[in-house]
Amino acid sequence: MIIALQLGLLYAVMALGVYLTYRVLDFPDLTVDGSFTTGASVTSVLIVGGQSPLLATVAGLLAGAVAGCVTGLLHTAGRINPLLAGILTQIALYSINLRIMGKANVPLLGQTTLLSPLRDSGQLTTWVGVGVFAGVVLAVGLVTVWFLGTDMGVALRATGDNEAMASSQGVSVDRAKVLGLTISNALVGLCGALVAQFAGFADISMGIGLIVAGLASVIIGQALLSGRTVWVAVVAVVLGSIVYRGVIQIALGVGLNPNDMKLISAVLVVVALVLPRTAPLRQWRRLRASRVAVPDLTETDAPEAAAPTGEAAR
Amino acid sequence: MLRLTGIRKVFYPHSVNERVALRSIDLHLAPGDFVTVIGSNGAGKSTLLNVISGRILADAGDVVIDGQSVTRMPEYRRARMVARVFQDPMAGTAPHLTIEENLSIAHARGRGSGLRRAITRAKRARFREELATLELGLEDRLGTPVGMLSGGQRQALSLLMATYVQPKILLLDEHTAALDPSRAALISRLTTVAIERNHLTALMVTHNMSQALAMGNRLVMMHDGAIVLDVPAAEKDRLTPQHLLDEFARIKGAAFSDRTLLD
Ligand SMILES: Nc1ncnc2c1ncn2[C@@H]1O[C@H](COP(=O)(O)OP(=O)(O)OP(=O)(O)O)[C@@H](O)[C@H]1O
Ligand SMILES: [Mg+2]
Repeated sequence: MIIALQLGLLYAVMALGVYLTYRVLDFPDLTVDGSFTTGASVTSVLIVGGQSPLLATVAGLLAGAVAGCVTGLLHTAGRINPLLAGILTQIALYSINLRIMGKANVPLLGQTTLLSPLRDSGQLTTWVGVGVFAGVVLAVGLVTVWFLGTDMGVALRATGDNEAMASSQGVSVDRAKVLGLTISNALVGLCGALVAQFAGFADISMGIGLIVAGLASVIIGQALLSGRTVWVAVVAVVLGSIVYRGVIQIALGVGLNPNDMKLISAVLVVVALVLPRTAPLRQWRRLRASRVAVPDLTETDAPEAAAPTGEAAR
Repeated sequence: MLRLTGIRKVFYPHSVNERVALRSIDLHLAPGDFVTVIGSNGAGKSTLLNVISGRILADAGDVVIDGQSVTRMPEYRRARMVARVFQDPMAGTAPHLTIEENLSIAHARGRGSGLRRAITRAKRARFREELATLELGLEDRLGTPVGMLSGGQRQALSLLMATYVQPKILLLDEHTAALDPSRAALISRLTTVAIERNHLTALMVTHNMSQALAMGNRLVMMHDGAIVLDVPAAEKDRLTPQHLLDEFARIKGAAFSDRTLLD
């Protein structure tokens, strides 16, 4: 189970990126599948080339950021539909990633990576390793919460929530979207860089279907822990990522093979999307919402749109 | 303060759906003018406000605000000069953000959004103070998501956000139409107070004749993409809703006879 916990924590970095686009910006970004591998391949190639692993990891993060920026510009400057913009970047990145690596797989065995100190002391797959990864996620999570609490972060959230309002209040929604996609894919690139060092290789296919894992983490997390503050949402994403990896690990444990995991992931997302909308859960949410609803002091009728948290669970 | 010259807007030009929304609008507002705008459905009132705010760019003509030409300036950059409240109470606020977060966006308007904290103790104190002027008790609910407020509360908040950083022009597009009479009256009162307190130049679209006469110092009637009547302050006080209805009928009749002449 330690492995599930570790993978859950590592991939939570990517899931936080997906949270920024899918949830905060309301932009379903499919760049992720490509930018993850870009982060992994840039980092791996630099490490193999003898660069310091820290520098290589930062380069992976930046490469992801560039990919996200491209999707953002395709959408804003090019007026291309969000899904299509993401797919275009993702497909283009497949070729680019192969160019970066020069082949389909770059092994990191025997190389000095950020995780070498842990690996060499035999601590990588122990609770010490878990603690280190938790530290990384904590740092990324804190930065995310901090950012979303700045003027710029709130402008980003407003853009995702009510674009017309944001624009009329002086927010450049195009800039907000490009920025959000850039930051999101920077996190995804970072995650790719870390996963490559953890797994000991970068592979051209390592990002395929990853967006589903990211969505699953965000949606499962929100189903388990719904709150309206940013930090609760961020904690929920990390929790969701860990639960998701746990479920995958259990599925592997009962004899399903790794190739079945894409199907499992997709089913998980569907369940997490549909379940909260079933009658009993909706009723429960409505009850909770009405308890915290604000009485209208001017008039008597019931407040409309009484369940923003329920809405957010879609 | 606001000068429109030869504003023209055609939707779907050169197609079967071609629709001339604004023919050639000339309008000048002096500082402190509060103009009410009336006119039938599809007259082009909302389009005119959209052209002023920058949501829609005009096909021809010039928009000049306080001596500065803003004809090509995108909406978000005009936001420091032009503020607006929409008809739909849902349109002016972000539902999943809290009252204080919404206000922080209004606070940052024109300053640009950097990496400073959106909510600080000082800002909170100011938010409380401003909300208290609405007399809706919202000052005690800074952390409540705006989606949980009623339409009237949201519209009051929209109005506060629009005037939080003093704009040069305030645009109101049927902003009381979706509310019940008592709350519409409340928002109308808050509007008058906000405009007087900040000495704003304002344009208010309404379908309510008595509201159009009771508020503002000047009245404009639009029909079929043109301004067909412009009543200055001195005459406006003498008008009654019946005058306006008669004028409506006369203009529609005129338009009708024009068409019959063409046939
Ligand atoms: N975005 C748009 N695309 C196409 N046509 C539009 C658009 N906005 C307005 N129109 C058309 O332009 C004309 C003027 O519309 P506008 O909304 O300005 O009227 P209005 O005076 O605000 O009417 P109402 O009183 O019904 O709000 C209408 O014929 C309308 O169909
Ligand atoms: Mg209108």
